[in-house]
Amino acid sequence: MKKRKIKHSLGLVCLNAVFIIVCFITLVPVLYAFLLSVSDGSSAFAGNLFGSAGHFTLENYKRILTEEPFLLWLKNSVVLSLGTTVLAIGFATTASYAFSRYRFKGRMNILFLLVLLNAFPQILSMFAIFRLFKSFRLLDSNVGLIIVYAGSMCIFSIWNLKGYFDTIPAEIEEASKIDGASDFQMLVRIVLPLARPAIIVTAVMVLIFVWNEYLFATTFLLSGDKYTLAGGLYQLQANDYSRSWSLFTAAAVLVSVPILIIFFCIQKYMVSGLTAGGVKG
Amino acid sequence: MKNRKNAIPWLYSLPAFLLIGIVIVFPIIYTAYISLTNMNLYHWNDFHLIGLGNYKRALLKADSGFLSAVGVTLVWTAVNMGVQMVVAYFIALGLNAEGLKLNRVYKTLLMFPWAMPAYVSILLWKVCMFNTEFGLLNKVVTALGGVKLNYLSENVPAFLACTVLNLWMALPFMIMMIDGALQSVDISLYESAMMEGAGFWQKTFHITLPCIRPIIAPSAIMTVFTTFKQFDIIYLLTKQKGSLTGATLQTIITYAHENAFVSNNYGLSSAVSILIFGIIILFSVFTNRGLREENS
Repeated sequence: MKKRKIKHSLGLVCLNAVFIIVCFITLVPVLYAFLLSVSDGSSAFAGNLFGSAGHFTLENYKRILTEEPFLLWLKNSVVLSLGTTVLAIGFATTASYAFSRYRFKGRMNILFLLVLLNAFPQILSMFAIFRLFKSFRLLDSNVGLIIVYAGSMCIFSIWNLKGYFDTIPAEIEEASKIDGASDFQMLVRIVLPLARPAIIVTAVMVLIFVWNEYLFATTFLLSGDKYTLAGGLYQLQANDYSRSWSLFTAAAVLVSVPILIIFFCIQKYMVSGLTAGGVKG
Repeated sequence: MKNRKNAIPWLYSLPAFLLIGIVIVFPIIYTAYISLTNMNLYHWNDFHLIGLGNYKRALLKADSGFLSAVGVTLVWTAVNMGVQMVVAYFIALGLNAEGLKLNRVYKTLLMFPWAMPAYVSILLWKVCMFNTEFGLLNKVVTALGGVKLNYLSENVPAFLACTVLNLWMALPFMIMMIDGALQSVDISLYESAMMEGAGFWQKTFHITLPCIRPIIAPSAIMTVFTTFKQFDIIYLLTKQKGSLTGATLQTIITYAHENAFVSNNYGLSSAVSILIFGIIILFSVFTNRGLREENS
């Protein structure tokens, strides 16, 4: 018995060692990028492995905030993400409520059709949307991009919210119906407050999607003052000078931090939220 | 009165359907239409219908590059899924080992790549890891006395680089899923297996895998789709506008994108897009049926 115990704790030590190594390997790219962002450019990129530690400096962060239009990009990203979230969640909430509560002809077929439509890779419809928007002069405009983003996240939001509405018992609504509330009043006063957790999680996922989207942003936004964080970062990295690379790592850290915070706050819901609806990207 | 009542759900869904109509349905129909025309840079406005010519070109002409892109995509999906499932399984198994007190810490740290914005991760890897002059990998190589390698200039190394990056980005999700599934397995099954003297592999193949299979099947299928559709990694690592690295690695999605936005061959690109959509529909109908049978 004692022998087995020793064997077990020896195994645990090994396992812990393995996990420390695995975690370290996982974090190396992020740590290295962070190290670069707080060291001065010349020592970081020149020299050998150990030269990369360099001198600690916040110069890169100062420069990205003052010399590059980082705050403008940030503003554009915030406008786009908030606009998209309001539009997508607003439209998806009423639609998903209808699909959860009413039984009408074609309901199941439409739900299935939505899943199939969602399977069409977004990148492939980019050209068609590009032509459409060109003739409607919606290129290089925030409104155009918000429509694209909201449309792309609409099906996901409908499925996600419908799944949650299905779990709210209809009796609660019937009680308020007897009290004389209209359909719409009931939706706003009773159903929405009950569905708040699902709405928040779905909204955050839409927000993250927009924050992280670069392809439509770099293809549809043509003028520099419209760039989002994604577009700006892309540009910084595309300039092939090591000078802007240390700036790029600083910008990358700044862009990722809000998302990391949000992610770890809603991590618990992330797994169930993604699987309950059964649709993703 | 009855008619009004029937209209209510449609009224509620109308705004959402309008949006979906513009952004998703219209592009698909329009793409299908373009695929039947000769639209390209020279025929931007005066294009005309040419029938199935683009499909023929994609499927029958070997030099169109489509068929080899299909091959690369299949290998890419198979390799990534295979490695991902096995590695994620063993890491999740380790996380669930009896007496591992720090497992929550490890789990949180391992989630990091999932939380990072995808394009930021890819660009960071490109600049900080794979870069020939300044990348960490080459710094390690030269510190060990080796010669600097160019990871992205040829197809095979580029494929491996993309695979490593994809695994880095996709493993956290799979680990979480398998970890959750492992916790739902009935412990008494292991106890009785232990009494009968079953070894590790016997337990794995006769208890663990059959138990977790139905739980991870949906997320595994979802991951097959996302791997199959993966665009960002290959595009950002090897074929960004203005900084081609030399590798000509092409999956069907990058192939369709390149034909639309680089070589301006819109007809061919649209035909390929519709073919890809066809493949995805077939696959989802197929897997849907499989899942339903498994559940019943």
